[in-house]
Amino acid sequence: MATLVQTGDLVKTVIASVVAGVGVTAVFSMAIWGGARFVDLSREGRPLAAGAAAALGGLALLATLAAVGVGIAVMMSK
Amino acid sequence: MLRPRSLACRARHAPCVLAWQRLALVIVNSDVILVIVVCTALAFDFTNGFHDTANVVATSISTGAAPPQVAIAMASVLNFIGAFISIEVAATVANDVVDAAVITPTIVFAGLIGAIAWNLITWWFGLPSSSSHALIGGVVGSAVAAAGIDAVLAEGLVGKVLIPAVVAPLVAFGVAGIGIGIIYRVVGRQRPGPVTRGFRYGQVVSGGLLALAHGTNDAQKTMGVITLALIANGTLGAGADPPLWVIASAAAAIALGTYSGGWRIIKTTGSRIIKMDAAQGFSAQGAGSAVILASTHFGFPLSTTHVINGGVMGAGAGKRISAVRWGVAGNIVVAWLLTLPAAAAIGAAVYGLTRAFGTGALGPVVVSVLAIGLIVGLFARRSQQGAPVPAS
Repeated sequence: MATLVQTGDLVKTVIASVVAGVGVTAVFSMAIWGGARFVDLSREGRPLAAGAAAALGGLALLATLAAVGVGIAVMMSK
Repeated sequence: MLRPRSLACRARHAPCVLAWQRLALVIVNSDVILVIVVCTALAFDFTNGFHDTANVVATSISTGAAPPQVAIAMASVLNFIGAFISIEVAATVANDVVDAAVITPTIVFAGLIGAIAWNLITWWFGLPSSSSHALIGGVVGSAVAAAGIDAVLAEGLVGKVLIPAVVAPLVAFGVAGIGIGIIYRVVGRQRPGPVTRGFRYGQVVSGGLLALAHGTNDAQKTMGVITLALIANGTLGAGADPPLWVIASAAAAIALGTYSGGWRIIKTTGSRIIKMDAAQGFSAQGAGSAVILASTHFGFPLSTTHVINGGVMGAGAGKRISAVRWGVAGNIVVAWLLTLPAAAAIGAAVYGLTRAFGTGALGPVVVSVLAIGLIVGLFARRSQQGAPVPAS
């Protein structure tokens, strides 16, 4: 039965799906948070905090794009 | 085409001529069947794009992240590109589901017709069933009808198709549910305007990724089936990879099918399961992309339809369990459960009908003509009826 189900590949698929799906969603949420906070803090006249939020958002956005790129590269490597 | 070497041979050696004619007839028949199989497979690929890819763009359209025509055009292009990324799933379909040694092009043909028939039935009733499982079910059914149960490779069918078919939508459900929970925790206190705009932009990427994933997984099934027919015909050796012309033609067929749309299915998936916001759409598409790409990497032939619907339901349930219209979701699950056995039964019946005309090309030709007539009739009737089913 273990052979039939090919447990190893299936478990790897589940782990990769959870890590990639949840990870990218979480990181992109941080990007959205950073962008939204940047707008609000800029309106409130707090440029330093706004800059920090923008930087965090930008980094999160880059991390999201990097994760997508790595995912596609892994697909193409096999 | 093979011909007798000379008229002299024909005149002096009648048995020689007969043998050559028989051989030529066999080859012509075999080539005709192969051409019909390739055309049918590409037609299936087209219907796959037409039927399945609507699910890929449904969430983007439903949340307003992209206008329908833009979403469909983008999905079409990315499906084409995605088809070139990997051949793991094609290898599984060609070598791991049925025993290539006992498969003939006629068996593959009957399986394809079974799959197309089931796709059209579910399209007619507006149900997003799985084209992929229809294809595998059709081929398995016709193989069993032709060569008995031994023609099925149980290890591949169970381990690479059936178990992942159950696991993948559940994983997509869970990932989308967890994802939407995280999103609401992170951005829940922000003003909705910028957050919604941000996730709509995000959906352009996640929707594109889902289309790419669809191309990698679904187009490969057609590549696998054509490769299986080429192996059965002796054109390729056992265990061969799909040639470039097979990859390119399958990519083009699914891309064209995608562009042609599938509005009934868009309505079902995008609106009738759950009313979504942009964050939920992003979460569902992200979960779907992750599951399909990971599965493709390991050669599991999944259904985009199953996975994206799992993701959509997970994103809905993650926000509020009652947000999911479980009645509609239940109908979709029933369609999923029916797909493999129904397509297998139709594939077996089509094989029987095809063989009723003998072992030559006549059977596939007659069945193809009947199928084309039926499809034209269905589309004519649908166009007379007009608009797609409105979302409830």
